[in-house]
Amino acid sequence: MKSQLEFRANSAHLLLTLTDSEFTMKPAPFDYLTPQTLGEAVALLERFDNEGEDAKIIAGGQSLMPMLAMRIARPKVLIDLRRIAGLDYIREEAGVIAIGAMASKRSAEESDLIRNSQPLFHAATSLVGHRQIRNRGSVGGSFAHSDPASEYPAVALVLDMQMKAVGPGGERLIPADEFFVTYMTTSLEASEILTEVRMPVLPAGTGWAIQEFARRNGDLALAGVALSLRIEGGVCRQVRMAAFGVNPTAVRLPAGEAALEGQAPDAAAFARAAAAAAAALEEPMSCIHAPGEYRRHLVKTLAERCLVEAAGRAR
Amino acid sequence: MAIEIPKLPEHMHSGATRFIGRDVKRVEDPALVSGTVEFIDNLDIPGMLHCAILRSPHPHARVLKVDTSAAEALEGVAAVLTGEDARRWSNPAYTAPEGWGAYCVAVDKVRFVGEPVAAVAAENRYIAEDALELIRVEYELLPPLATPQAAMAPGAPVLFEAHDSNVVQSRVYNWGEVDRLFAEADHVVSNSFRWNRVGANPTETFGCICQWDLAENSLTVHGAYQTPRFWVAARAMALNLPSNKVRIVSHPMGGSFGGKGGPRGTDISALLSRKSEGRPVKYIEDRMEYLIAGFSQSWDRHYEASLAVKADGTVTGFKVRLIDDQGAGTEGWGTISVAKPLAAFTGPYRIEAARYDTVLVATNRAPSGAYRGYGPPPHFLVLESLMDMTARKLAIDPAELRRRNYLRPEQFPYTTPAGNEYDSGNYEAVLDKLLAMADYRGLREEQSRARAAGRLIGIGVASTVEPGVFDWNAYATVGVPGIGVPEGVKLAFDVFGNLTVVVGFTLQGQGQYTVAAQIAADYWGMDFNAVKVTTAATDVTPPHFGPGGSRLGVAIAGAVLGASQKLEDLFCCVVAHVMQTQPDQVELMDGRLRLKQNPAVGMSVAEVAGLMLSRADLLPPGVEPCPEATYVWTAPNRTMPDEEGRCRSYLTAANATHLVMLEIDRETGRTDILKYFIVDDCGTRLNPGNLEGQLQGALAQGVGAALYEEYVYSDDAQPLVTTYVDYLIPTIHEIPMAKKDFVVTPSPFTPLGAKGCGEGAMHTTPAVIHCAVNDALAPLGLEIRETPASPRRLWQLLHQAK
Repeated sequence: MKSQLEFRANSAHLLLTLTDSEFTMKPAPFDYLTPQTLGEAVALLERFDNEGEDAKIIAGGQSLMPMLAMRIARPKVLIDLRRIAGLDYIREEAGVIAIGAMASKRSAEESDLIRNSQPLFHAATSLVGHRQIRNRGSVGGSFAHSDPASEYPAVALVLDMQMKAVGPGGERLIPADEFFVTYMTTSLEASEILTEVRMPVLPAGTGWAIQEFARRNGDLALAGVALSLRIEGGVCRQVRMAAFGVNPTAVRLPAGEAALEGQAPDAAAFARAAAAAAAALEEPMSCIHAPGEYRRHLVKTLAERCLVEAAGRAR
Repeated sequence: MAIEIPKLPEHMHSGATRFIGRDVKRVEDPALVSGTVEFIDNLDIPGMLHCAILRSPHPHARVLKVDTSAAEALEGVAAVLTGEDARRWSNPAYTAPEGWGAYCVAVDKVRFVGEPVAAVAAENRYIAEDALELIRVEYELLPPLATPQAAMAPGAPVLFEAHDSNVVQSRVYNWGEVDRLFAEADHVVSNSFRWNRVGANPTETFGCICQWDLAENSLTVHGAYQTPRFWVAARAMALNLPSNKVRIVSHPMGGSFGGKGGPRGTDISALLSRKSEGRPVKYIEDRMEYLIAGFSQSWDRHYEASLAVKADGTVTGFKVRLIDDQGAGTEGWGTISVAKPLAAFTGPYRIEAARYDTVLVATNRAPSGAYRGYGPPPHFLVLESLMDMTARKLAIDPAELRRRNYLRPEQFPYTTPAGNEYDSGNYEAVLDKLLAMADYRGLREEQSRARAAGRLIGIGVASTVEPGVFDWNAYATVGVPGIGVPEGVKLAFDVFGNLTVVVGFTLQGQGQYTVAAQIAADYWGMDFNAVKVTTAATDVTPPHFGPGGSRLGVAIAGAVLGASQKLEDLFCCVVAHVMQTQPDQVELMDGRLRLKQNPAVGMSVAEVAGLMLSRADLLPPGVEPCPEATYVWTAPNRTMPDEEGRCRSYLTAANATHLVMLEIDRETGRTDILKYFIVDDCGTRLNPGNLEGQLQGALAQGVGAALYEEYVYSDDAQPLVTTYVDYLIPTIHEIPMAKKDFVVTPSPFTPLGAKGCGEGAMHTTPAVIHCAVNDALAPLGLEIRETPASPRRLWQLLHQAK
């Protein structure tokens, strides 16, 4: 298990506990390496891991750079993936959409394939930060960074996505429910690199929705819900719900799913399912913008609204 | 000859105006949009060092020991500054009232998180920040005082040991027979209010480059200064330098809004330069430093207030008790924000008497600073909220209640109970125009339908008075000395007749260079683009202050017009001599100095200027070859305050009424602004486009204060808002574009009839939004009386009511 960053947090945001080293805007010294191939990059990670040196991968830098500037993250070595060819793609492979880890969020947002074949992932992408951030930020970076307020982990749980990791022993696929561990921590090994994320094409007729509550447009979500469902024979089937921004990592909402499975898609059922989902949540995080109980209520509200929206899309 | 400044644009005697009152393109903008403006961080001086500041992580502690030896040994470090240096070479910040300032680097103790404890000058900022990590500081923690209540509690530790308590000032002002009016009132409407800390957030933080000339013992400072001459005096006092040995070259700024502080940054860089054998030292405040310890925080207030009201809704008395959390001393001039409401205490209303009971308290929060409006915006939130509470209690429409209480046009000039004089106004005309523009009746019907459907829709109508053109006497009650705020310009024609207007301030965004050029071009009948407006260092410009207190548009108009008239008189003498007539037979008209009796005969302005500089043989005896004039304007007829603080202080009283319609999401507590309307009256509109920008910008900051922004502290005085992840400035997605209109009631007291209007909507927007939020909540019997009305607060209110 690899902790992506040493950090202190008690909320969806970084809580900066002020010590005298943190009134800074210039990173602490680090070595900067730009391997040309994936093999080189993996070899570097393995070497630094063996030497006990803290090495970090940098992709788009949209989360890591501020942490470096404030010296919250202070790796000895930064390994930049941008010179490695072949990690920037979005393609369909036999019913599966594969996105290279270095593809930008903006390219995912502009991809007709994603817009048409995986609209939930597309909608989630549009909720990430602002356009300027999506221009620079990589898709893979958000998965590896695993911010609790990030939209992608919740979508990954709903869609049963798989993450492709390459390490010294070759490549492996990690299912979403094993990938996100806790705050900014994934199950990637210290010398593994995330190279691709994979998701199924959304089956025709599936209803989906993602909604989040943020103080301002583009802010990190204080709470969010993503879900999908099918309506078959007049009842809800294959209900998959997940919440983000409330617990240390995105979580499935099994109580909500169970409450709705087999029920007629009406307002009362949606309200019951949303309430069940929220009630079963582990104690949500707290911050100055949202205490835990407020977050729990937001999950209920957003889940209910998402269910209405998704049912409207289901055929 | 006496200078008579025209009181209206139509009184300009030298021809029809072509630029004043029109949306001319701003002279400032080409450089801004093409990126050629030299902001301070773009400037490098050979040999320059870079400063980084070590700051206290503790809100209140004794500094026992500062070990800088490892930092000094780091390669690339030129000097390390400590409290010992500050004690040896400088003085604590001058404050009003006196004695509540600290040294630029902590001596003996720290009083807020982020207070400088040491500083490094190094070859680059990276090394400087690395060096900070090598400085070892030993602290002895003292009990933190997070609130004024804690700071006033018996036995609380004293922050400034020269004083025997943490109360900076406690003062009650009585204006009229308050107690009688409250005793005779049919209703008394009272409530408490909490305004939490907000503040200025310019795009550019503070920055400077200081160079101490060791041979001359003088200091040259390049930097982002809102009021450079003011800082020269303060730096001279702090750094033990003669004031004529401190020179500030002010650079264009990426905004200020009152938050461009920087006294500590300047003094620290200056002393580091002194300690580095006179090498220039650059300090660029970073955003965390700005948010935690810059002059980013203002107005931390606990209010209790009451209105005395007659049965018909006539408001007769207004009482306010204010406990104001100044933070760790008053180095940021936060005290002024408590004094300024005296200038418009009773707002636009005929309230006969008032009481203002103020307690200013030092705590372990960051020292509070200036912010757009400088005090009245929270005051008006209280007054307008009480007006709405009165309207609900008496079942009178809130717009109608205001109308009944407005000052009448025939009452101006009007002396308020608190002593200031309002110049002019027509508040009912403003309200009428607003209600018609917004279709107020239609909005109320829409609201009724929405309420019936279970939606929480609220409408607010709020009216305020913006005190404009500040004078120092407005702040005499907190110990600020003086009357008169000089604003000077020099007009200089060159040998080809091009005109340069030298002002004492730099670009900050408001467009005052454009206003100066508009007026000069109209006066002299010149092409707008032939006028060049420029600034110079403090040691060569005429006396000036710069932007602040909604003054500069009026002040610069007065200065340009005054200098123009002096120069016109000189030109008339020269032309009269050449034409062999008397000066009073010559007049300036449409860019020519001509004979009144024979207008076809005359000289162009350029010809006169060229003659003066190149044909000394043609000049009248005693006239210097100098087609230049300086004029320094200040507001006329300002008075000394009496024992209750009453005086003629702010020269103008602009008026605005806003109307907002908004909706609260019952489940999330989120507020969405649906419609926003503004009608204002600031007299003559010198540049309508500038004004529109000012209004819309102030509206944005008002939305921030009302719904989003807040500097939160923990119970032990730790700042919990340290980045823009948590300090939420509304963006283009959250700010409504208001529909705007205006009424023009010129000021009888000012150049061209213009009134101060730069702080503008900040006075009204927070108030009107809170009025509307409470209107939306009224059917539920709920009320929010704390800013900002954030989703969390509204949700808790709605949730607890269930």
